[in-house]
Amino acid sequence: MAFLEVDNITKDFGGLVANNHISFSIDEGEIVGLIGPNGAGKTTLFNCIVGYHKPDSGKVIFRGKDITGLKPHDTNRAGIGRTFQVMKVTTGMTVLENVMVGAFCRVDEREQARKKALALLGFMGIEKIKDFHLNELPVAMQRKVGLARALATNPVLLMLDEVASGLNPKEIEEIVEFMRVINSEKKITLFIIEHIMEMVMKVSQRVIVLDYGEKIAEGLPADIVKNENVIKAYLGEKYAQSH
Amino acid sequence: MEAIKDALNFSDFSRAERISLIIFSLFLLIFPLLGAGSFTKTVMIQFLLFSLFGMGWNTIGGYGGQVELGKAQYVGIGAYTVALMMVWWKIPFWFSMPVGVLIALGYSFIIGYPLFRLKGHYFAIATICTSLVLKDIFDNWTLVGAAKGIELPIHEHPDFVYMQFKSDTYYYYFIMVLFYIGLFYMNWFRKSKLGYQLRMIKDDEDAAESLGIDIRWCKIKAYSIASAFVAVGGGFMAVYNLYIDPTSVMELSLSIKIALMAMLGGAASLWGPIIGAAFLVPLDRFLGSWLGGYKGLIGVDFMIYAALIMVVSAYQPRGIWGIIEQLRKRGS
Ligand SMILES: Nc1ncnc2c1ncn2[C@@H]1O[C@H](COP(=O)(O)OP(=O)(O)O)[C@@H](O)[C@H]1O
Ligand SMILES: [Mg+2]
Repeated sequence: MAFLEVDNITKDFGGLVANNHISFSIDEGEIVGLIGPNGAGKTTLFNCIVGYHKPDSGKVIFRGKDITGLKPHDTNRAGIGRTFQVMKVTTGMTVLENVMVGAFCRVDEREQARKKALALLGFMGIEKIKDFHLNELPVAMQRKVGLARALATNPVLLMLDEVASGLNPKEIEEIVEFMRVINSEKKITLFIIEHIMEMVMKVSQRVIVLDYGEKIAEGLPADIVKNENVIKAYLGEKYAQSH
Repeated sequence: MEAIKDALNFSDFSRAERISLIIFSLFLLIFPLLGAGSFTKTVMIQFLLFSLFGMGWNTIGGYGGQVELGKAQYVGIGAYTVALMMVWWKIPFWFSMPVGVLIALGYSFIIGYPLFRLKGHYFAIATICTSLVLKDIFDNWTLVGAAKGIELPIHEHPDFVYMQFKSDTYYYYFIMVLFYIGLFYMNWFRKSKLGYQLRMIKDDEDAAESLGIDIRWCKIKAYSIASAFVAVGGGFMAVYNLYIDPTSVMELSLSIKIALMAMLGGAASLWGPIIGAAFLVPLDRFLGSWLGGYKGLIGVDFMIYAALIMVVSAYQPRGIWGIIEQLRKRGS
């Protein structure tokens, strides 16, 4: 039985079919990449899985349970964490408080939540920014906070929507390393949307490609870069040649 | 146990704030001994009452960030429960007041459930409408006195069972105790799981949902807590005024005043509702007695409030408390 099974998901925004009969599955412990040009339907697919959108047809099965149409807070409680491509830059809460809210998903006591949040910030090496507000931080840090608060909910499947966009190569390197660590040490299955090709190819064990709402390819990174359809739709000949 | 510790613990506030709280508390304690006239005493009682209302509103309106403009219906529920149970069955205040709170809680869940399907302006308008409907029902319901209202039987001697006193001093200390219960409760609330979750909802609803927060359920809980708070105040109004009618305990203007005071003082801060009430209650009284004589000027007080809230929110959306914090940051 697959860990996450997406079966024939379709999402139609009044004529614009953002996801067209998409099926795939993810096994426990994998790191799977989801790529495709802008507007291909990647974020929509995430939203259909975790419940921000109700798919028009199809099913999502997570650990043997049908979670289709569940609300985001319920899919989170079921063990799916996610980050947002566009993170709202808020002023109301500090970094520590943000992560504590994530921790409150599993604990009721404030001290417990605080300890857990501090431990996580330490694990990520960002405890020094704990008293800052999101609007006071550079994008790379905001992303880490988004990651930290999602992790605080104890997900077994973490879905990251373009966490590396806007980051410099060094920061990307850090995030890639971090993904590997949480995957191997915390045993968290990762499903990542990324448009930075180098990064997806480096970190993913398997890649799924969307284009105009259709799944056009799925396979090992090495095969994906050579796939005719993918090259046509997305990568361009140049990338394939240079690798 | 933890909760009580949290409620009594103000250590995360600055020294200046804690000292101010102590001085303010001492003042409240000895105020009746200062020989103030009955007008001033009335103003102080109103100040404490509206602080209590504002603190309650602050749960959903401040921490939760929802523009809630229908609290008067729960003031009414609290007031009418106490008054009717006393008039009909001679039931003591200490029994009828909790019953009023329970009815307010029950009613708030029933109203809150559909209400929190709505967002933004639609929500704000719907809160006004639900309140208007209840007032209309009471205005026409002869069993509960309709628009004429109900009078409570007057007890000559101080009566702690029915909480009826001739002297305002008793009422003053009574509402002061309620005020502190409210303050301690809110001091706990702001540090509670629900308090954190509400602030997240206010900041970013999508993110809140992704962190396992059932937004609608959290809002309903906060709304019900707010309703219970104001129902307590409503019960107090019944025994304090000894006369209630739909206009005095259920009118839209009361709902707006409650929200306005908390917003003006500083929504989502512990001190905000108190500061707001300290400004607006005396102003309200003053304008009331000043404008009361001029028939054509009814409503002018609300224009003044509206202007106030516009000026404050244009300068600092977090109200007077926000301005104070800003100045403090600049000073340090
Ligand atoms: N809520 C929405 N309503 C209508 N159209 C949407 C909505 N969300 C996304 N779309 C459209 O669906 C398509 C896929 O968008 P998206 O999933 O965000 O793409 P990607 O994440 O791959 O860049 C785009 O054409 C986008 O404009
Ligand atoms: Mg996207």
